[in-house]
Amino acid sequence: MTSPNSSPTPPPWHVSDALALRYAEGAAPETDAWSLEKHVESCSPCAGRVSAAVRAGAAGPALAAVRADLLAAVGHRPAPAPTPTPAAASVSAGHPLGRGARLWWAAGPALRGSWVVAVALVLGGAFALAYGAGFQGARSWLLAASPVLPLAGVAVSYGRHADPLYEITAATPSGGLRLLLTRTAAVLAVCVPLLTAGGALLPPVAGFPGAAAWLLPGLALTLATLALGSFVGCRAAAATLAGGWLLAVTGPVLGQPGTDPGGAAVLTSYFSGPVAQGSWAAAALACAALLVLRRRSFDHLETR
Amino acid sequence: MNQPATVAVTGLTVRHRRTVALDALDLSLSPGIHGLLGPNGAGKTSLIRVLATVAAPASGRVELLGGDVGSHGERTAIRRRLGYLPQEFGCYPAFTVREFVAYVAWLKEVPADRAAAAVERAVERVGLADRIDARMKTLSGGMVRRAGIAQAIVNEPELLLLDEPTAGLDPEQRVDFRALLRELGTEATVVVSTHLVEDVAAACTDVALIESGVLAFRGTTAELAALGGESGDPGDSTTNAIERGYTAALRAHRDRLAARPAGQRAKESLR
Repeated sequence: MTSPNSSPTPPPWHVSDALALRYAEGAAPETDAWSLEKHVESCSPCAGRVSAAVRAGAAGPALAAVRADLLAAVGHRPAPAPTPTPAAASVSAGHPLGRGARLWWAAGPALRGSWVVAVALVLGGAFALAYGAGFQGARSWLLAASPVLPLAGVAVSYGRHADPLYEITAATPSGGLRLLLTRTAAVLAVCVPLLTAGGALLPPVAGFPGAAAWLLPGLALTLATLALGSFVGCRAAAATLAGGWLLAVTGPVLGQPGTDPGGAAVLTSYFSGPVAQGSWAAAALACAALLVLRRRSFDHLETR
Repeated sequence: MNQPATVAVTGLTVRHRRTVALDALDLSLSPGIHGLLGPNGAGKTSLIRVLATVAAPASGRVELLGGDVGSHGERTAIRRRLGYLPQEFGCYPAFTVREFVAYVAWLKEVPADRAAAAVERAVERVGLADRIDARMKTLSGGMVRRAGIAQAIVNEPELLLLDEPTAGLDPEQRVDFRALLRELGTEATVVVSTHLVEDVAAACTDVALIESGVLAFRGTTAELAALGGESGDPGDSTTNAIERGYTAALRAHRDRLAARPAGQRAKESLR
């Protein structure tokens, strides 16, 4: 009961509920209305009470409409109710957000620190090698590593082992494939621009595929992870495919040391030319088709 | 108990690798608060997880809120009307309570225009309103559990499954929680798995007692208390009576099992 301004001692008289109601209905005698209006200038509890009475009264809908129009005019997001704590309303995620914001919200937990750090390390490492150590093959190494990074992202964002909320999400209508795809999309949305731009900024290697060459292989491997994940779980699927890919890339290079710095020939055979890229596209389509066939398996129950 | 059953389970068998967690269980529940009692490892959590549509039964039929859990479309519809508090659950530590509950509301497809109010109401009902913008990692164990209860009730579920909801709550919070339970149980079907007999005594209308994957007792809380018989002590509480009833029901069940001829048991397991 402290008035925010003027007199140090608050006025002894306060607006009664009955008077507030009469005032809201416009039925209060003129002298009472004057006293009330004078009083609410200096007494915020009474002002609150009178506002509430007016909002609840016949003028309420008109006031709400004016408020909504005003907020719309100043470009404000409409709040569902006049919330007493505007600070809280701004962070409340349940508000009708834009589509983009909602997607970010949905995917947020997927982009966990460890994985983002891993992507940054791979990129940073490639740059350090190329510009710090003058290593010519940095770009090809980044290209070789790029397709497995989204796999790691998928593995750490969905499933019993990776998602602390899994047990709760599994009992919700959005918990299955839909959530997995949302998170995969978020992972790709981070990976694709970062790694492609990173590859383009590194010094080019002669006779070597461009920075975008990893996109189809990356997509195919990601879809293969989801499809295989419908049988064995995402973590195992990601580990299998990433391991297989790294073996396929590094095996031939390590097999013939010295002859092929940076493994350019091996990588070129995987990435370059319409045949290689066409095969990746076909593989991506096949995996997508398999995933469509297996779409129910994520929803139902106990994916390992 | 003339209301239609919201949970109808017939011949439910759940296996974990080689062990049988639930053995041809039949159970039907209608709106109200049902206590699920039983020794550790009896199959309470297995049952709750099947009812939450998280685990698949090895065999048997599970109908929830009039829909069949085995069919994809009906399962999705059931999940919108379901609330589930797992025995153990994690959270994203950087989320605030509000974000955590709102995230689950989003997963449960609570309409966006109602979500913000629903989140605040759920958090307020579990008594965490003053910590709504605190990060999950700053909360104590009891508060995390209450946030877990808030996410379970954010969509006003018709079927609410709570696995050990009072673990980690202090006595005062337990009293508040039971009051909330009674309020929820007037409309919804609430299943509370617990090993605390006093929870059952204070809040539950009826009790299912599970032992080694089989239903050992089913009846009202008063019937379970009556099983324990009269006590000589005039200062005896309901909790004590139910505790005695619990022990008596378990013992009677074990005696029945032991008395049954082996052939009959084998035939039943083939069924």
